Amino acid sequence: MVHRKRKRFSAFLWHRRAGLAAIILVIILAITGIMLNHTESMKLDETFVDSTLILNWYGLDPTGEPVTFGIGKHKVSQWGNQLFFDTKVITSSEQMLRGAVQSERFIVIALDSELLLLAENGDFIERMPTSTSFSNIQRLGVKYARPVIETSEPVYYYMADEHILDWDLIINEEIKWSQPVGLDDTEKKKLGQAYRGKGLTLERVVLDLHSGRILGQFGVYLMDAAAIALLWLSLSGFWVWLQRNTKQKQKKHYQKHHR
Amino acid sequence: MRHIRKILLVPLLLSCNALYAGGIYQQPDEFIKQVFDKSPVSVKVIWPDKKLQQEITNILGHEYKGLRIRYWISGTKTAWVLDEIGKEKPITTGIVINNDKIELVKVLAFRESRGWEIKHDFFTKQFENAGLDKNIQLDRDIDNISGATLSVRAVTKLARLALLLHQQVSKDGSS
Repeated sequence: MVHRKRKRFSAFLWHRRAGLAAIILVIILAITGIMLNHTESMKLDETFVDSTLILNWYGLDPTGEPVTFGIGKHKVSQWGNQLFFDTKVITSSEQMLRGAVQSERFIVIALDSELLLLAENGDFIERMPTSTSFSNIQRLGVKYARPVIETSEPVYYYMADEHILDWDLIINEEIKWSQPVGLDDTEKKKLGQAYRGKGLTLERVVLDLHSGRILGQFGVYLMDAAAIALLWLSLSGFWVWLQRNTKQKQKKHYQKHHR
Repeated sequence: MRHIRKILLVPLLLSCNALYAGGIYQQPDEFIKQVFDKSPVSVKVIWPDKKLQQEITNILGHEYKGLRIRYWISGTKTAWVLDEIGKEKPITTGIVINNDKIELVKVLAFRESRGWEIKHDFFTKQFENAGLDKNIQLDRDIDNISGATLSVRAVTKLARLALLLHQQVSKDGSS
């Protein structure tokens, strides 16, 4: 039986292994590095990503369908946790949109336990937590141009004064309730664009690919490993070259003096 | 092994405590009821003009989100429920001013995972009887809490803002 002699540590072998293991990551590092060096000329900071897959990965694409209430020619919508006046972002809220009405002086928006007041042009006036007085708002309506809210458990109806400072208990009569409306495809597309705001730049994606952050903390470690592999490749490459060079010199020396 | 388990358990318990220390401590209307008790109180609003808006921006370091600010008044006492972001989420604070001096600061809601220590009396009591100097700064130093610097800054800004707004409504009786 022939026992093969166990190989000693071979720099060349590990140079090859490290090179093969890191090949894809090193290609990504190199290409993204070159791209980042030319951000301005390649206009990476002005190019916005349109891919649903990438936007979803970054959590920038809204989930579900928008809920919209119409106020004259304007619309108040909620998509995800963002609230919009037409396509202008008002604020964000985890609460559900219950209605929007035009009162004497303000546009009033009702959430589960919060009211928002806007000016007619959509400027933000005030955020009013309804606190314990009117939690569980179910509907928002209007009566005599004053906002009315319906609460649950128990079911009560409250009407505000013209400044929306005080609320009085009223009976459920002659209240015109705010009704949800649908959005056509163009409106929905515009709202989607508004949701993403200025959007995700290609520079951000390339930067995250380069650093590995696109895969979270794991990606960062992965790119660290690729960088260490690159370091190893340069050192082991030098070592292999040095060994071969020395051997060739020895060989030439032997051929010259021992023939 | 038991010792290792104990060592692991202590930071776990401490972190759980930190996670659950935030939240809503008191509803704004309960705060107002408690502050004014049975005194007649009326709710008013101030619409800051451009000059006041600029002063507010100087205090907060950003524009105030909203065109009007609600307050409650009874005699020379006013109460304000204001929001300011500590790190990422708003801290709701109730502030009572009487004769241009702070009477009470109370953190009503803290929504972030760190910095909730500002809710304690040892911190909020520092604001009692504080007023504004000529530079619209508090006339006293407020001690920081390590690990809660941003929350301390947010509440200090709100204290200055409430004093400024109180001065304004006392001056012109806006409503």
